[in-house]
Amino acid sequence: MLIQAIYRIAWKDVVGDLRRRATLSSMLFFAISVLVVFQAAFEPDRQEALRLLPGLLWATTLFTTLVGLGRVFQAEEEDGAFEGLLLASVPRGVIFFGKWLGNLLLTLLVELLILPLILVLFNVDAWKHVPAILAILALGTLGLTGLGTLLAAMTRGARSRETLLALLLLPLTAPMLIAGVQAIAGILQADGIVAPWIKLLTIFDLVYLALAPWAFGWLVEE
Amino acid sequence: MTPHPPSSDPSPVVVLENAQHRYGRHQVLQGIDLTVSPGECAVLYGANGSGKSTLLALLSTRYTLREGRYLLDGIDVRQEPHEARARLLFIGHHTHLYGHLTPLENLQFFTSLRTIPTTDQQLRHVINTVGLNKAVDKPVQWFSAGMRKRLALARLLLAHPKLLLLDEPYSALDTQGVGWLNAMLTTFLHNGGSLIMASHDPERVAALPHRPWQLARGRLHPISNAQESEAC
Repeated sequence: MLIQAIYRIAWKDVVGDLRRRATLSSMLFFAISVLVVFQAAFEPDRQEALRLLPGLLWATTLFTTLVGLGRVFQAEEEDGAFEGLLLASVPRGVIFFGKWLGNLLLTLLVELLILPLILVLFNVDAWKHVPAILAILALGTLGLTGLGTLLAAMTRGARSRETLLALLLLPLTAPMLIAGVQAIAGILQADGIVAPWIKLLTIFDLVYLALAPWAFGWLVEE
Repeated sequence: MTPHPPSSDPSPVVVLENAQHRYGRHQVLQGIDLTVSPGECAVLYGANGSGKSTLLALLSTRYTLREGRYLLDGIDVRQEPHEARARLLFIGHHTHLYGHLTPLENLQFFTSLRTIPTTDQQLRHVINTVGLNKAVDKPVQWFSAGMRKRLALARLLLAHPKLLLLDEPYSALDTQGVGWLNAMLTTFLHNGGSLIMASHDPERVAALPHRPWQLARGRLHPISNAQESEAC
């Protein structure tokens, strides 16, 4: 039953977004803009592009995640819907996981679309590594969106919430992003080191996803 | 509209003792005692800012009770808030509806979060009962305030709560809607449900058997039916 509630909250967010074409289109537009600017600014050759790829991917992922997180509680701002959510007879952690799952699915969808785009735009021959890169992106995105959803809840009522969200999220996720960049760099290099970075990403995921639901419950108490 | 589970227990549904609430240093509620039995309707009157909505927020568990004792259907709300939430329904100034979802989807969402087993057929029947059958597939964002209120109240037919909390339930309803709401609430009370509502409208409340209370300077006092119009 609790799984059903998590699914319903996530379903409501994903369906709502696909109907309004709000978050997903903003995230995609933003990601494409960032990539075009990077390409125009650096004009890297193939070798250099391969070296830049991990950083570019994670930077684009982080920025687009921020765009999505800025809207993660948008639907709850209508007609006291957030209050209605909190009055549901499910633990607060279930509400957190539902919101997180909805945001995660949208972010993963954007990542799935921007990875081929980045390979084409930067003319990088890394197609054989696409499944491994996507797996690492997904692993990092679990924790990134977990922490991000908590911070989005925290800054929900703030006047300049998107700025505040960025100010909080960027320093807190920096170690995780370094691990993500190093893991993808390891995959792209013939003798690269991957395993320790994946372990580190997993630890970050576990810590964020264990603490965030508890912190969310504490945060929404009045 | 039978309260959940069907009640033959005469013990009070709500027991609130010495409840306090403050916003920062401002004491809004102090020493609130309120007992509501099955089938009883308590109406809270009071001037704007007297604390009616705060009291309803405390009773709904939206605000955490930090001082005092609150038992709902025998459950200590401070200890088991999730259990308590399953036994109450709160419809306040906001309808808690999602504009991008249809009435059916809104009710599906509501029942999922309350773990109420229902079928789409049952939900459509409830939507028909509240008079929204022609708008069943339209996103709620296009609804008038009165239609939203009707849909919000449709939850009462699904949740079967022991305690119903209403904040200004007659606002946004036309004359027909007021009659429909009072008929719905009368059935709810007749079936043993307990109702606490905040209102400024003694004329419309008069159709229901009720016990009036007045909130003033943070304190709750019982008043007589004759005093109701002065208490608003």
